[in-house]
Amino acid sequence: MAALRLQSAVIGAIMLREIHTRFGRHNLGYVWLFIEPMILAFCIAGLHKISGHGMPGGVDPLAFYIVGYTPYYLFRSILNRAAGALQANAPLFYHRQVSFIDVLIARNLLDVGAVLFALIVMLAGNGVVTGEWPDDPVWLAIGVMLIAAFCHGVSLLIVAATAWGVETVERVVHPLTYLMIPLTGAFIAVWWFPAEVQEIALLNPSIHMFEIIREGQFGVAVPHHYSWGYVLASIAIANVMGLIAMRAGRRHIALQ
Amino acid sequence: MLELRNLCKFYDTHGAERAVLRDVNATFWKGDAVGILGRNGAGKSTLIRILAGIESPSSGQVIRGMSVSWPLGFGGAVHGSITGADNARFIARIYGKPTGWVESFVEEFAELGEYYRMPVKTYSAGMSSRLAFGLSMAIDFDCYLVDEVIAVGDARFTERCRIALEERRRRSTLLLVSHQAGILRSFCTTAAILNQGTLTFHEDMDQALATYEAL
Repeated sequence: MAALRLQSAVIGAIMLREIHTRFGRHNLGYVWLFIEPMILAFCIAGLHKISGHGMPGGVDPLAFYIVGYTPYYLFRSILNRAAGALQANAPLFYHRQVSFIDVLIARNLLDVGAVLFALIVMLAGNGVVTGEWPDDPVWLAIGVMLIAAFCHGVSLLIVAATAWGVETVERVVHPLTYLMIPLTGAFIAVWWFPAEVQEIALLNPSIHMFEIIREGQFGVAVPHHYSWGYVLASIAIANVMGLIAMRAGRRHIALQ
Repeated sequence: MLELRNLCKFYDTHGAERAVLRDVNATFWKGDAVGILGRNGAGKSTLIRILAGIESPSSGQVIRGMSVSWPLGFGGAVHGSITGADNARFIARIYGKPTGWVESFVEEFAELGEYYRMPVKTYSAGMSSRLAFGLSMAIDFDCYLVDEVIAVGDARFTERCRIALEERRRRSTLLLVSHQAGILRSFCTTAAILNQGTLTFHEDMDQALATYEAL
């Protein structure tokens, strides 16, 4: 119990520190959190408007891209920043009570908090302007947290892999997160595809999570395909594998 | 009490294992003030990092019967992109001390003036070590691990460190790494020499310094 209290105090302190270093007192790092998904959502929604083609099922394109890109931003942010996470925080490990995993938990919690906040602001703005409000905001938020939980497990695997060198891992992870754009399910809905393709698409855990998010936004207006069992199992597997890899890799990670 | 049992540490250098510490056994008690001498690359900092628990030994055990500080060295535990005051609050939070108290204690101890509210990366080496030392003095440890840090301060700061450590002498242990005979004489009562992976203790400081110089 005391250990748990200490760990949450440590994680809280790291989060406060991260807010200072990342969002800073003088830089506007957090503004990009809003601007980037909004540029994409507005541009693509604008193209739909100009071309006169609506989205399949007649869903609101602006909302579709907001609930697609913003969680994808979280996905990419957690995975891309994982490899450098320990180097950036090397001074913290001078304190015995701060573990590698504490730093990752703090950073990922901060990421999911920031992204949820950005998402709420954008969807509320969209609701006021277009009258398209999320069907179930809590459901939508749960979907975002599932993505964070899954990515947390993967980020442990990435950090463990930095035992082979941070640069090597970053060179592999960064292109992969871009190649993953069409595959994550951020911009495709499962029901668009024939049954055989759906089956293959649903092998990817993140598609299930994006489907849950879209269900939170659009409700039953269009069909959504996901399996809770598959989602929870993949989160559990990613995290258990991550913890095992961290245990094995921890000693071999060289920090200055 | 802080005890090392059959401690070994190996590093991989170009595929070959190099022993930095070979079967080190030692016990440090409350009130001990031990100077650790060793040539560059002898493994002094590795030993300190293992004692602090931020690096794990290849084999053997560290038994900590008392609270041990983080290694006080150049920067190290302080974060460069945030201010000295932010660092103080961070340390207070993770060690469960009142943030306001630690912040003002360190401000007074380190005497950084307006730099206290500037990012640490703008500090000089002397200022960083004053901050680092002030931070560790704000937390009451039973054992302080000091890696050269005192050496970069000016005379006034060295004196301040000496008084601060002297005050804690009866209830604290001090392990100090330094090459400077003067500093070792004023802070430590005994010394140990780390050479080729073995740690040899000397009760007499003069004898220790003479042995070290003959290496």
